[in-house]
Amino acid sequence: MQLQLVDICKFFGEADSRTAALRGVSCTIQAGSITVLLGPSGSGKSTLLNIIGGIETADSGQILIGGEPLGAMTEQELTQYRRKHLGYVFQSYHLIPNLTVKENIEVGAYLSEHPLDVNELLRVLGLWEHRDKLPNQLSGGQQQRTSIGRAIVKAPDILLCDEPTGALDYSTGKEILQLIEEVNLRYHCTVVLVTHNAAIGDMSDRVIHLRDGAIVRDEQRAYRVHAKDLDW
Amino acid sequence: MKNPLRKRWLRDLKSELGKYIALFLFLFLTISFVAGFLVADNSMKVIYANSFSDYDIENGHFTTDRALTDEELASLEKNLDLSIYPLTYIDRVMDNEHTVRLYLPRDPVNRVDLLSGSLPAAADEIVIDRLYAENNELSIGDTLNISGVTFRITGFVAFSDYSTLYKSNNDMLFDANKFTVSIVTRSAFDSLGTVGLHHCYAWLNDDDTLSDSGQLRLSERLMYRIYQLDILEEFIPRQQNQAINFAGDDMGSDYVMMQTLLYIIMVILAFIFAITARSTIEQESGTVGTLRASGYTRKELLIHYLTLPMLVTLLAAICGNIVGYTFFKSVPVSMYRHSYSLTHYETLWNGKAFWQTTVIPLILIFAVNVLVLWATLKMPPLQFLRHELRFHKKKKVMRLKNGSFLSRFRTRVILQNTSAYLTLSLGILFASVLLMFGMMFSPLLTHFKEDVVSTQISDYQYILKSRQETAVAGAEKYSLMSLQNPKHEDVMVYGIRENSAYLPNISGDEAVISDGYLDKYGLQVGDTVTLHQKFHASETYDFKIVGSYHYPASMCVFMSQDRFNEIFELDADFFNGYFTNEKLTDLDAEQVATVITQAGQTVMADQLEDSMGRMFPLFSAFSLSIYLLMMYLLTKMIIDRNAESISMLKILGYTNEEAARIFTRATLVVVVIALLVSLPISYWLIRIIYYAMMQEYPGWLTFWLAPWIMPAMFVMGLSCYLIVSALQLKNVRRIPMASALRGQE
Repeated sequence: MQLQLVDICKFFGEADSRTAALRGVSCTIQAGSITVLLGPSGSGKSTLLNIIGGIETADSGQILIGGEPLGAMTEQELTQYRRKHLGYVFQSYHLIPNLTVKENIEVGAYLSEHPLDVNELLRVLGLWEHRDKLPNQLSGGQQQRTSIGRAIVKAPDILLCDEPTGALDYSTGKEILQLIEEVNLRYHCTVVLVTHNAAIGDMSDRVIHLRDGAIVRDEQRAYRVHAKDLDW
Repeated sequence: MKNPLRKRWLRDLKSELGKYIALFLFLFLTISFVAGFLVADNSMKVIYANSFSDYDIENGHFTTDRALTDEELASLEKNLDLSIYPLTYIDRVMDNEHTVRLYLPRDPVNRVDLLSGSLPAAADEIVIDRLYAENNELSIGDTLNISGVTFRITGFVAFSDYSTLYKSNNDMLFDANKFTVSIVTRSAFDSLGTVGLHHCYAWLNDDDTLSDSGQLRLSERLMYRIYQLDILEEFIPRQQNQAINFAGDDMGSDYVMMQTLLYIIMVILAFIFAITARSTIEQESGTVGTLRASGYTRKELLIHYLTLPMLVTLLAAICGNIVGYTFFKSVPVSMYRHSYSLTHYETLWNGKAFWQTTVIPLILIFAVNVLVLWATLKMPPLQFLRHELRFHKKKKVMRLKNGSFLSRFRTRVILQNTSAYLTLSLGILFASVLLMFGMMFSPLLTHFKEDVVSTQISDYQYILKSRQETAVAGAEKYSLMSLQNPKHEDVMVYGIRENSAYLPNISGDEAVISDGYLDKYGLQVGDTVTLHQKFHASETYDFKIVGSYHYPASMCVFMSQDRFNEIFELDADFFNGYFTNEKLTDLDAEQVATVITQAGQTVMADQLEDSMGRMFPLFSAFSLSIYLLMMYLLTKMIIDRNAESISMLKILGYTNEEAARIFTRATLVVVVIALLVSLPISYWLIRIIYYAMMQEYPGWLTFWLAPWIMPAMFVMGLSCYLIVSALQLKNVRRIPMASALRGQE
């Protein structure tokens, strides 16, 4: 599913404290690609991701998702849009503490009319042996795998990842990136990944550099480096 | 696919079992107790109402000074379309000074209900009233010595025409301790002789569809005919027979109180459910945000968080009704059976009680929860993800210059948890209303009785059947008429002599109303009160109020005797009573309808105290338990909300006690303020509730809150908090240091 962003602006605060989080961001993200939004803290990358995800609204500009303008959607339509088309992965895993790994993934499956096979997905995610464990019995990496499983089980068109490796160590972070890469290849979903780690950009088709709410560089990459080969 | 979130319900229940058990128990106990009460109350009312046809209760009875001849009886029956049955009885005083009224086996009118044992078959056998037997610890097989004859008790009965044991219809009080009715065989009855023999006859109208006024008109015609025979001693239509009507009139008087209590408790429990559910959402805000961001609708999440409270309520309502129908019904039944001689009790299905104890609690808890949860879930997913569950962000941070670091810290805790503390204050207000409701009634009744006694018009108030003169100095004539207001409550209308020694002077066309009447209906000077004759609603009288008089004993209208006699078209010198501070011994006792003394004035309060007295301490204990629960859950919510801060304090090196103290002392400040503020508001609310409740009561009990109640409530509230804060220390100890670090992820 193609994403088209046209002159997106977003401000926070009022009067003297009014700050621009996004200043006229425009870009088109191709269906099935991996796009990395790269930038330092406060550059507006998470805000942009949230606007794409329909959980935050732009003050001006237009977002077209598969040609449909997001701004014209009612709240119910936005919910339905997220339900049908989006998968969300956060830095904090936000798993439901009293549901098992498998059940947490089923929480995502419930939202789709044609979800992926949960058992197969558990194997793909390397969580089969942990499927009956509660989140507090898992490592950070396993928890993030579960949250990715929850996001992709409904076979979303777009997978939005907000600093998915931010809370993880180097090797676990790489494992998660490999998983995202595999999900992209296997399920052909469009991945938009927010990070401040420049090395992660190498695994993408495109790196959009943000600073102070504006795109400072839009880097189309000729080839993707396998996530397992990333180094930082 | 079924929503996998369903799997959480049982686990949520397990993880917060203590909270849900407490809420379940409160709901269950309230519903079972109230359901039992309402069901039993209604069953008794229905059984009582049916008893008129089930036992063929008389339309009235009269006593003559000789037996009526067959011709006289036939003539009366033929001319008046009624059937007359002899109901001859003998009154005897037993060795213990108690009075026994002996009847022959009764059929077909005023039949008795045999509750245990068997009816008398031999001349030395007797059945007596069940309540009298219980009050005097008599058992089947025991003997009674009546005028030298020994009778063996073979059974206990309920007389359908003596549900309240009034020896005389003129008595102010019934007496189930020293008076009983009984049945002996014909041979035993005849052997007792004629001492104390009363030629009593009961009648049944042929037309049982007559209205009350129609029945009274018929009874007036009957009375006139017997009066013409010049043998009439006493004549009592059913509508005026206290022994028949008193229990029925009393039934249901506690209904309103129980209903009010139920609704207050339900609103409080709904509030607890809602704020605990909201607290859960706050704690899980990240998860809720993720679910919303993933596409879960607000409705799906609302249903999820609503289900457990509703299931707990439904289960409590079902169990409560079962236990109410099977066990708690016995509480009001025994209360009524403790006062009245009622026929067989049978629990009847009561749709209204089911509605009030099941459907309304469910609706209340559903409505309050939906309102609170919907308001919370209305926030955008991002706010959940950022743990920003406030509608309005504070624009400016208040600067705190004065005080030590700890006092500023505590102030900051209060400022940062304003919404939680407002919730706590609201909870304290709810609990205070309930506690005040539980605590106020016993002293209110005591005060009412003292007030009634202190404002008694005279030590003795005689009501006469016919005009009689007395030589006792200080006795003052007055006129009295019992009318009814549009709500069919009895209102006494007094005609007072000018320059009365007992009441303030009322002259001309003025009408002064008792302040209770004024209070109950929110009347004011200048308003007009319309009253009507008891069984003739079309005969109305208007009284313009020019003032009020403090007379709590009953609802009254006072006017000059001249005006009274004029309004009711009576002779100018008519009177039918005396106010006096001395006994009038020179009156014909037969012509005295009643003498109102101190005891008679407080009969309503006495009965309420008698029936509800045992429940008042229960109310208070229950209220206090809810107070504790409310305070525990709300303060726990504050601790939970601040778990990260507490965890961080621990990391920094604060001990559990120090960390807890910062929060518990901040809460203490709020609790003290909330308690002080909630007391006058509770008083105001209770007053409104009380006035609304009393609208359903016949008569009026002056609203009064004992001066010690508010200080006691403050002390109790504070004590509850101290207990709760000790418990919260445990919760603080349980907060792991890691939670602060997790929160920073």
